[in-house]
Order: sequence, then C-alpha cells, then structure tokens
Amino acid sequence: MSKETPVKESRIAVLAKRLHLSKSAVNVVLALVAIFWLVPTISLLVISLRPESLFGQSGWWTVLTAPSQLTFGNYATIFSQGFATGGVLDSLITSLEITIPATILVALISSLAAYSLVFGFWRGRDTIFLVIVGLMVVPLQVALIPVVQFYRELGNLFGLNPYGTIPGVIIFHVAFGLPFGIFLMRNFLSGIPKDLLEAGRIEGAGEWKIFYRIVLPLALPAIASLAIFQFIWVWNDLLVALVFLGGNVHSPLTIFLYDQTRSLAANYWIVSTGAVVSIFVPLIVFFSFQRYFVRGVLAGAVK
Amino acid sequence: MSSVTLRELTKQYTGNAALSLDSVSLDVAHGEFICLVGPSGCGKTTALRMIAGLESVTSGEIEIGDRVVNDLAPRDRDIALVFQSYALYPHMTVFDNMSFGLKLRKVPKDEINTAVTDAARILDLEQYLDRKPSQLSGGQRQRVALGRAIVRSPAAFLMDEPLSNLDAKLRVQTRAEIARLHQRLGATMIYVTHDQVEAMTMADRIAVINLGKLEQVGSPRELYDRPANQFVAGFIGSPSMNFVPMHVESVDGGIRVVSAGGDMDVTLDDVESDMIRRAGVSDVVMGVRPEHIDHLARSGRGLQLRASVDVIEFLGNDEHVHLSSGGHELVAIVDARTPLTIGDSLTLSASSEAIHLFHPETGIALK
Amino acid sequence: MVYPTIATIRFSLYNETATKFVGLHNFASVFSTDAILTAFKNNIVWVLIFPFFVTFIGLMVAVLTERIRWATAFKTIIVMPIVFSTTASALVWRTIFDLNPHVGVVNAIEQTVSDWFRTPGAYPLNTAIGQTTASLASFNATGGPGGTLVNKSVVHPGGTVMMGLTRISSVTLQTLGATTPVAPRKIAGGIAGLVWNDFSPLQTSNTTTIVSDEHGLPNLRLSLVSSTGSSVASTATNSSGDFSFSHVAPGSYHVEILASNFQNAFEGTFWLGSQSITPTNGLNQTAQSLLSVPLIDLAMIISYIWIWAGFAMVLIGAGLAALNREVLEAAEIDGATEWQKLRRVTIPMLAPVLTVVFVTMVINVLKVFDIILNMAPGSSQGPATTLALSIYNDGFTGGIHSGVASAIAVILFLLVIPIMFWNLKKIKG
Repeated sequence: MSKETPVKESRIAVLAKRLHLSKSAVNVVLALVAIFWLVPTISLLVISLRPESLFGQSGWWTVLTAPSQLTFGNYATIFSQGFATGGVLDSLITSLEITIPATILVALISSLAAYSLVFGFWRGRDTIFLVIVGLMVVPLQVALIPVVQFYRELGNLFGLNPYGTIPGVIIFHVAFGLPFGIFLMRNFLSGIPKDLLEAGRIEGAGEWKIFYRIVLPLALPAIASLAIFQFIWVWNDLLVALVFLGGNVHSPLTIFLYDQTRSLAANYWIVSTGAVVSIFVPLIVFFSFQRYFVRGVLAGAVK
Repeated sequence: MSSVTLRELTKQYTGNAALSLDSVSLDVAHGEFICLVGPSGCGKTTALRMIAGLESVTSGEIEIGDRVVNDLAPRDRDIALVFQSYALYPHMTVFDNMSFGLKLRKVPKDEINTAVTDAARILDLEQYLDRKPSQLSGGQRQRVALGRAIVRSPAAFLMDEPLSNLDAKLRVQTRAEIARLHQRLGATMIYVTHDQVEAMTMADRIAVINLGKLEQVGSPRELYDRPANQFVAGFIGSPSMNFVPMHVESVDGGIRVVSAGGDMDVTLDDVESDMIRRAGVSDVVMGVRPEHIDHLARSGRGLQLRASVDVIEFLGNDEHVHLSSGGHELVAIVDARTPLTIGDSLTLSASSEAIHLFHPETGIALK
Repeated sequence: MVYPTIATIRFSLYNETATKFVGLHNFASVFSTDAILTAFKNNIVWVLIFPFFVTFIGLMVAVLTERIRWATAFKTIIVMPIVFSTTASALVWRTIFDLNPHVGVVNAIEQTVSDWFRTPGAYPLNTAIGQTTASLASFNATGGPGGTLVNKSVVHPGGTVMMGLTRISSVTLQTLGATTPVAPRKIAGGIAGLVWNDFSPLQTSNTTTIVSDEHGLPNLRLSLVSSTGSSVASTATNSSGDFSFSHVAPGSYHVEILASNFQNAFEGTFWLGSQSITPTNGLNQTAQSLLSVPLIDLAMIISYIWIWAGFAMVLIGAGLAALNREVLEAAEIDGATEWQKLRRVTIPMLAPVLTVVFVTMVINVLKVFDIILNMAPGSSQGPATTLALSIYNDGFTGGIHSGVASAIAVILFLLVIPIMFWNLKKIKG
C-alpha cells in the first residue's frame, strides 16, 4: 500500500479550504456553544465571590462591568470552622477518607481479577466474566436495602455492624466499582501478548513476579484511567453516602453540600462556596489526567 | 469520454521541503488506458488524487476535456475513482452503493435501474445486488467498486492500485477483466500501480514516476526496448536488468567498454563509439536484460562475458541462472534444457542491440 | 452482588417490616399509589426526551468540532461538567433557573426580551385581586379596548380634565416621586388636566376634589382622542400629575389613559415548578399523575444534558475519527454535498456508536436521582420524583418501608434487564 504520510493532513486542508465560508460559521457556532457551556460553572464561581448584600439585587453578570464586587468573604465564613466536625474541611477529609481507599482497592482487585480472567485457565472462567459484564448494568438502588440488612446481620453475628461507618461505605463502593473495573482491565490485558508472560516463565519467574513486574507496568495507562474514573465517581457520589452514612457525624462533601442546599436553600452565596470546594478536587484530577480520563470514558462506561 | 491533460503539475505539502510532484506534464488521449507506475511514495497516488480533486494543486494545471478543473470540487469534475480499499458504503446494499451517485444527481428511477443492472451484468454481480459489502468476498467488492464507477459514465476512470488487495490468482483474473472492460467501454482510464507487470499488460502507455518526477512516458514496448534512463530500465522487466559499472577504453580507433576484472567487455560500432566519445565519460554503467544473455559465444559487436554459476533456479521452461563475474553478480535466463551445474565456468554473450549504456552520474541512456 | 439482588426480590414480596409474606401486594400498591405513578411517568418523560437530545447534541458537536483548530480546548470545556458532583451541578442550575431575574440568567433574559416587546407600565394592575382599569377610576370612565381607561366626558379646547384614580399603592407613588397635585389651569387653544391619586386618609369619602395629602400621578401616558375616534396627540403627566395638550384644533375630544400604563411587569417563568406543559388541569388525580409534564422536568433535563453531552461527544468523536476516510471521499466523488455526506453516509456509518451512546444514556437516566433531590425545591419534589428517588424516600427516610421500596427496586431492575442482555450479546459477538 503506497500511502504517503503527509496525505492525512492535506485532506483536512482541502476540506477546510473548500468549506472556507462555512468554517467561520462553524467557529462562531461552536464559540457560542462553548460560552453557553461555561456560563453555569462561571456563575457558580462568581456567586460565591459576591457578598450577601448584592445577591438577588443584581445579577451576577454585572460583575463583568464592576469587578470590584468580588470578595472572598463567603469563603472566610465557610472555612471559619476550621477542622471542626461538620465544617467544610472536615467533610473534605471525610471525602478523601472514603475515596482514596475505594479507588486503590478497586484498581488493585480489578487488575488481579482481570489477570486471572485473561491468563488463567479454570473452569467457568468465561461464564464468570459474562456475569460480571451483566452486573455492570445493575442499578445501585437494587442492592441498597439488602446490603443494609446484611450489615445488620453482620453486626448481630460478629458485633461489627458496618452500617453507618466509613469502611461500610468503602466496601459498597468497591463492590459496585468492581464489575466495570474488571471489565476495563480485562479488555486491556487481553491485548498483551501471551508470549511476554511465557518468556518470563521460561526465565524462571513465578506467577506473582510475572504479575508484578511484567503485567502491571504495561497496564499502567489502563489502571490510571480506571483510577481516575473511579475516583471521580466515588468522590461525587451522594446516594450511597446518604444511605450508609446518613446520620453520621462526619460526612463527605456531597452530603455536606446536600445539607447546606436543604437548610440554606436561598442562601446561594454560601452554598455555592461549598459547591466550589467540592468541585475543586475533581477538577484538578481532571485537568492533570485529561488524557486518561477521556480514555476511561471511551472504555464504554456503563455506569 | 474525455482527454486528461496535466501541465507542469506540482505538489508541495506544507511543512515538507521536498516536492511530492515536480512539474509533471502528461497528455492522456481520449479513450486511452495509461498507467502511472513507480515505487512506493513516488507521487503517483498524489497525482491521481489531484486529478480527482481530493488534493489541492500547488502549481500547474489539470484539464479534463477542455476545462481547467483546478478549482472544481470532485463532484463537478465528472470523474470516478476506484479506491485501493474499495471504499464501499458499508451500510448500503450493492445496488444502493452503485446507484448512490445517480440518486444524488436526481436521475429518474428507471434510468438508475437500467444503468445499475447493465453494470451488474457486465461485472457478473447480478445475484449480489441485495447484499451488503460485508457479505461479499474481496474480488466481489472490487467489482462493486468498479460498478459504482461504470454506472456514472464519467469522463475518465481513475484507479488507485485496485488489485493490490487481491490474492495472486484473483489479481490475474481481474487484470484481464479490467482490460476487457476498457475495450468494451472505450473509456479514458488512468491507472496507478507499483506493479510493473500490471502496467505492461494493461496499458496503452506507461508513465514512470520516481520521487515526484516523470522519468519517461511511452508504450510498454518503448519503455522496454528504449528506456530513457537507468531507473526506468531497472524498473521495467522482471527479473530486472543487470547493471555493471564499466570503464571506457579506446582501442583500434573504436571504443571498448570493459568491466573492472576484464571478464566482461562490450565492443561498439562507429556510431555507438561516437556517441560515447561525445558524452565525454570515462566510465559507464552497462545494462543488459537477463533474457537477452545467451549461453553461446559471439564475436564482433556486443557483450562477451565469462562467469561462474552460483545459483540455478528451475522454472519449468526456463532457468534463472545467477552468475558471478569478476566480483559482479548477474542473472541470465536460459533454456531449462541447458546442462548446468553450480560452479561451472561459462562463456555468455548478448547482441549489441540488447546492450544499454548509461551515464554513471545522471543515469541517462547513452545508447 | 448477586445476593443483594435476590434479597431485594425477596424483600419485595414481604410486608413492610419483612415479617409477613404478602406476595404481590406490594407490587399492587406500587401501581396504585399516585405518588409512584408520578414517579413512573417522570421516568418515562426522562427516557423519552433525554437520551435522544443528548445523543443528538453530542453528534452535532462532534461533527462540527472536526473542523476547528481549537478542538481540544473546546472538548475540555464540554466534558468538564462530568467531573462535578451532580449535587453541585444541580445547585448551579437551580440558580440559573431561579425566578428572580437578578439571580436566574434565564429569567433575566426572558425579562429583557419581554420588556423589549411590552414595556411595563408604571402602574401595574394587581390581577390577583381582580383589578381592572375601570375599577381604578373615581371619575366617569369606562374600560377601553386593550385595557385603556377612557374618560367619557367630552372636552373642548380651553377646557380642563380632572381624573382621579384610586387604589394606587404608596410604594409606587414614592418610587415615582409623586408630589402634591396642582389644579390644572386653562390653556387657550389647548387642553389641560390632572391625574391624581384620589384617596386621602383624612377625607376618605371625598372623591373628585383634591385634598392636601393626596398625590399626583406622574409618568402617566395619555392620549387625546377626537370625535372620530383617532388619537391626535399624546403626552405624559409630570410629577404633580399635571399634563397639557397644546395647539388643539376646535372640536370635541376625550382623554384616554393608555393601557401600557397598567401593564404588568414581567412575572417570570417558574422553571422549577410543577406547572404542567401538557394541558391536564381538568383531569382527576390519577390521570394527572400520569399525563402532566411538570416544567421542572424540562429544567432538570436541560441541566442533565449539560452534564452528559460531553460524554456523548467524546464517544461519537472517537467513532468519527475511526471512520474510513476513503468512503467519505468516495461520497464526495459521487457528488454528495457536505450535508448529504453527513446524512447519508457519516451518520449511518456511525450507527453502532450512536446506539451505544443512546443505550448508555437510557440506563443512566433510569437511575436518575440526585439531580432531582438537589434541584427541585421542596414543593416540586413530589411532582418531579422518579422511581430511583422513590426507592430512597420510601426505603430510607421516615420509617423503613422496605417492602414497597424493594418492589420499586425490582421494577427498576426489570426495566434494566433487557438492556443487560443486549449488552451481553454485544460482548459475546
């Protein structure tokens, strides 16, 4: 096949040249769309930076002509509690306490399980995989009530009721993150040629060594995508947190925000600061690992 | 049917210093089958795509019929292109694939029907009209791609290596089909390939392109008998021409060309000697085709050579004999019945008509 | 994970406190409770509207993005909302749809547009208490066409007109800077007059004459209408309520107070409310549960599209990039314009990707929960609720009604099963 490499770029150039008129129209349309998309986020930020007195009297968009309106007053208020229980920083830490272990566990277990599914030979291997794929679609709600009961049973039997505790939430998140995680890792790992492992075996490496030194390094991009996706999913979760940590003294940011929204419904200037704080972490994760994030989305998220 | 003319056609991709096509001029006559051949990356596909309108022109003109089409969109040029990968619409049936272009031009339904069924008959596709491309074999898909082009009755057919994705046997078969198609339709066809066998067997004329430059245009016979330079000589013909660097000597008022070891020499007549003298070179590259080397001795003009046999390839009717002579390697084709063994020392010769001499630096044919 | 599913099914067949086996009783109550039927309906509304539009927008954006240079930046902007918690997003959109035009962008725009077409008057009627223009007048007047107030008395050049209006709020008077009214002086060849607030706390029974603590009505637009019925001049009152028409030709006239003075200010659209788009006001309760489409559903769907369009765009963009370019070139040579190429070649070839996106979005939307919880104000929670939310509400708030909640969960699960099988088939093949 005599395909010259510069061909691809010139095709686009020809296309663009031919569409010279419509190109500017497209740019305008997309610019408008982009602005529309940014407005909500910007509005949130601006509202949180405007003093209480201005709220409801003039629109936040007036900040464009009068930037002196901006103030950090609301943030001072919301952080004034410091690390005290029930404050925003406490919730931030709680969120981290839930999300980080959940992410690490899912990444680890998914990799191991996927490794076994791809390179292991045992009866029922393919059936189990199909079951896992099927389970990806199951909505969380279906499992909530039984698991609550289950936790209670555990409490009765062992004196350790995970309901209402952070580990309880983590376990639930891991359980529901695994089907997708295993699916993703398995698809990725099946692209690794078996020869690599056989070469390792011939050289005398045991199974664990092979996993640790050959497979894992190769799988890093997929693990990164999975980790990021899982992180953001757990960080932003509200339902599971509400069910399992509803009355708890420490609550993650999502519950914190939810409570604020309910109790201070009209005090948008305060509530939006909480929202901005809750957005902050995922945004950083997103911008740093954009490429991996998009890959995770592409892996056919069926969440 | 129209003629197609390229005038000083040049293409430079942005960011590349080199020219993908360098001032190529070509006149394709109305109804002619012309092949653009050359090695991978030589620019032949670029030229074809420029004629189609899929690549922009850096400088030069393209004429289809009497119109300069440089600024026309592909759909307005009245050409059809058969892609190497067929590029069939995967979601449409064979019938829809072939009728798509006509439907877009709002041709009435019964005309479409006739055109498509006619083309299908010619290409033996009638029973596949309801199938989708995924249900067809490679050869069948190729024919659908051809059918799509035929149905449009374009001013010119453009074909981009249409046979390279087919297996060897199918290739030979389809080659003949395309040739037959050309005779039947009398269409102007511009055919791109890297396979010189395809070019030799199908084309009225061949244009050899190398590194963006047009090396030579001519009928297959012209290119075979009188290659304009070393590149064309080596490209046309299989197995390819033997090349040996030789030194020019004056002898008895004439010119003799000798190889370094002295095992090969060519004696030239007066006219030929004159040409060499005027070229003013002290070295030349001698070219001779394997099929022109005979296992016998000759005297007088032409090539004499002494060599030993390295490898013998038996091909049924012929044998390809790989020889070494004074450090140079050559291939000769002899009758299979010739008794030969590896290691034999042979005397071989070739007539002077079969000898080509090329300038050692420019490669241009001196004789 | 399998165990919980089975356990849920078991729960759904038991009663509230999981002690007595009640068979399908719970399911029956699911289908007869209005609240749950509403939830059901809302799920249907979501499923019908959201997946289609989000896929459509994702497709359009993916296609257009191919042509611009700043594609990466653009994609980042569109994808970004996915990383926000639904709670935060719900909050943002709640402010955007807020009724107050100083908070909600949408209503602000609506007001600007509305004011441009229909300038609000200085003296809006309070339609809530049934005010009409005629009811305001303490002089001889009738209500004219389009809401004008017509003074029935005829006046000639050189004459004066006195028009007293009642029921004007003091706030309005203060805002407009109304001052003490001055009795109009006659103008030769002209017509002078006064419009004032004919209500005095001191002399409540005194109408038609000016009392010292009354106020004139400023900025009131008037028109002088001739006997033929056409307007010959127009003017407005000053801060004391006085006005005049000069250079009036001889004849009989009457004065009209223009309708525009009484036009209501823009009231705003309560996007977050349960007012139905479909006309269901007369129907019984159950029918309403099933057929009314609350406005807030639309608002929430719009915000949800904002969140997820990026997802659709990324997947479709990948699908687009993977398309065989030569097929598109073949279409060009066949004679297709850009639009035809898109419609007849690109989109059909994208069918598999579009299906995946669509189905994924359907699944996503069946479980929609936190956006409703956070975006709908208390009053709208009921009308806007969905099945997933009901499970939460019934199962985990108030008492533990595990039976009914489980029944709902089972129904949700059943809805999801066909998709599960479809997914499995896809993976296998």
